[in-house]
Amino acid sequence: MNRRETFLLAGSSLVALPAIAQETPRRGGVMTVHFATEQRILNPSLQASTGVYIVGGKIQEALVDLDAAGNPTPVLAESWESSPDGKTITFKLRAGVTWHDGKPFTSADVAFTAMEMWKKILNYGTTLQLYLTAVDTPDPLTAVFRYERPMPLGLLLRALPDLGYISPKHIYETGDIRQNPANTAPIGTGPFRFVQYERGQFIIAERNPNYWRPNLPYLDRVVWRVVGDRAAAAAQMEAGQILFSPYSALAISDLQRLGRDPRFEVTTRGNEGNARTNTLEFNFRNPILADIRVRQALAHALNIPFFIENFLGPFAKPGTGPIPSVSTDYYPAGMPQYPFDAARANRLLDEAGHRRGAGGARFSLRLHPAPWGEDISLFATFIQQSLSQVGVRVEIVRLDAAGWLRTIYNDHNFDLASGWHQYRSDPAVSTTVWYRSGSPVGAPWTNQWGWSDPTIDQIIDNAATELDVGRRRALYADFVRRAQTELPLWMPIEQIFVSVFNRRLRNVGNNPRWASSSWHDTWLAS
Amino acid sequence: MRRALAAYARNPAALLGAVLVLMVLGMGLAAPLLFPQDPLGLAGRPLQWPGANPRFPLGTDPSGRDIMAQLFHGARVSLLIGFVATLVASAIGIAIGAVAGFYGGWVDTLLMRVTEAFQTLPNFLLLLVLVAVFGSHINTVTIAIGLVSWPPVARLTRAEFLTLRTREFVSAARVQGLGDIHLMLREVLPNALPPVIVYASVVMAVAILLESALAFLQLSDPNVPSWGNLIGLGRNVLRVEWYVSAIPGVAILLTILGVSLMGQGLNDALNPRITGK
Repeated sequence: MNRRETFLLAGSSLVALPAIAQETPRRGGVMTVHFATEQRILNPSLQASTGVYIVGGKIQEALVDLDAAGNPTPVLAESWESSPDGKTITFKLRAGVTWHDGKPFTSADVAFTAMEMWKKILNYGTTLQLYLTAVDTPDPLTAVFRYERPMPLGLLLRALPDLGYISPKHIYETGDIRQNPANTAPIGTGPFRFVQYERGQFIIAERNPNYWRPNLPYLDRVVWRVVGDRAAAAAQMEAGQILFSPYSALAISDLQRLGRDPRFEVTTRGNEGNARTNTLEFNFRNPILADIRVRQALAHALNIPFFIENFLGPFAKPGTGPIPSVSTDYYPAGMPQYPFDAARANRLLDEAGHRRGAGGARFSLRLHPAPWGEDISLFATFIQQSLSQVGVRVEIVRLDAAGWLRTIYNDHNFDLASGWHQYRSDPAVSTTVWYRSGSPVGAPWTNQWGWSDPTIDQIIDNAATELDVGRRRALYADFVRRAQTELPLWMPIEQIFVSVFNRRLRNVGNNPRWASSSWHDTWLAS
Repeated sequence: MRRALAAYARNPAALLGAVLVLMVLGMGLAAPLLFPQDPLGLAGRPLQWPGANPRFPLGTDPSGRDIMAQLFHGARVSLLIGFVATLVASAIGIAIGAVAGFYGGWVDTLLMRVTEAFQTLPNFLLLLVLVAVFGSHINTVTIAIGLVSWPPVARLTRAEFLTLRTREFVSAARVQGLGDIHLMLREVLPNALPPVIVYASVVMAVAILLESALAFLQLSDPNVPSWGNLIGLGRNVLRVEWYVSAIPGVAILLTILGVSLMGQGLNDALNPRITGK
């Protein structure tokens, strides 16, 4: 019942928005932001991750961003066009933009970032730009991207808000890019410029007085406070020491409590572009799990609607496959599903030859939950409890972040794993890599299951270079059908990140990736 | 011995300690009878307050498990960890302390430098390292706790051996031609043991606390229903559903209190200078 109320509150704030928009923006003020997990680098041209965008996305800018309706809108690129064969995409760049150190922004920066960072280092970028052969710079304000195979313009424009951040060539052209001091003291063109990073405590950025959007930003400063403990972060929200907590970083029970408090807005608004699904990953190197009947049985043994209703509340819903329902362009309906059916699970396990032994147990599996997200931990416990009902003993193994990534994606030393898959506007950005074979060993959030399927590889490759939107949609429906039939991993829960705003903040959540976006028009009411 | 028992029985604090420890022991023994279901299984809706649902007198935790069942089964886990870790720590500590104290000289110097090296490391940090390297299975955790807790036992044993090895009865046995092993185990050790036994109660209390601290950081074995795990789970919901952490917290408090009072009582009962008067 409490959860319903939270949901209604979140909905009613949408209705209240137009009234707020009529106010005159006030200049000045410091926006304090909850920074839950520290990062090794803050440059979003080098690492695609919400933990990087939350800071680096205010300091550096991408070629394009998303507008309120979720369509690409110009930032550092003013316009773009694709050749009919889809192999040449030309960007006209914005004139009069300068880096925070005073040097002018030119097409050379774009060419350098694309070839040296996106294509070689940036996670997901290396896959997206696999067939990029060169970036020509006929003049300082024109960048021509040349591809070996057709690049759908729609895919590129939807990927670029996350995978299209530009870094200054003059800072990065000498020395090892990964060791550059600017990685933790970024230099960009954005509305805020970097001031200080005190590890374990705070990051400060201040207003860029030479920002290319006239008279913006409104805020004087943005301060990110490093707070790892959820309960402490909630207390700081209530004390007004933090004005914004992004990406579901507070405890679920605190989200519900703050949602009932008129000082705060608890909402998924502004995170529509950051849908995530909870995963159940199977290791095919274990012969038990290589049997499709066992994977199907494990899926049938989990009562997902029950788990969502009792544990996650209104911000989650049952997932139907790797492409979540927020993807209006590519979400396919009517795909194979695995509803809760314990009898069927038992039958499938019997058929697979795993009869119940002493004490009703069939076999044991280790489950490695990712160490981020309260929901992952709860889901792991729920999997353990549910599978014991069908005679599968589950031993939960907890590791720290580095250990978990190494164990799953490098050492492949697991039976089951559970974490998050993030969907970023287009299936080719960060979704199909979970299924396509051939990712290098150790690449996190890619197909490391010991499963290789030529059929799905073919579908994925065709879809990534298909220019016709209708045919791409059909190919992604084939992709989801194949993924749900073979079930190399299962994505049974769909969630949108939850933001908590202090209501003094204005112009927040006004685009689908707001927490990652530049906050140039955000202001603070007195 | 009888005099020591009588002295113990006259001490009300020591009796309270014994009652508390017996209560926890009773909970552990009764757990499989009262709660035959898996205490980690899904029992009902998560986060029901104590008393809100007659099926769950102490409520349910964030994973929908019965807190009462976990409390009873957790008593077994906590006591087991306490006993085994204390055994490990005492075995290592007594062995090293006995050899160092009995032989003296360079053996003593060497063993005591090693002991001091361990003592200078904060034992919780050492425990974190051991668990990070060897994993968080409950057996590993228990042995790791024993491994970080032995240095004080070693020093105490050494001190006792140092004073006892020059006594007349030891010299008499030596003159009779008895070997070192016999002297250490049959002559010195029985006389050195009382203070070590008393100290073992401290080790046990600390062992239970160490496991809880590990579990609070979610680094203990999540597959056993330990009290520390329950506290760790409750940390996220501390502001509203504080009872999830508070109930096992009180259980740990009472257990540690019981063990400590018992240790104190033993100390008073076994110390001839107090009991004699």
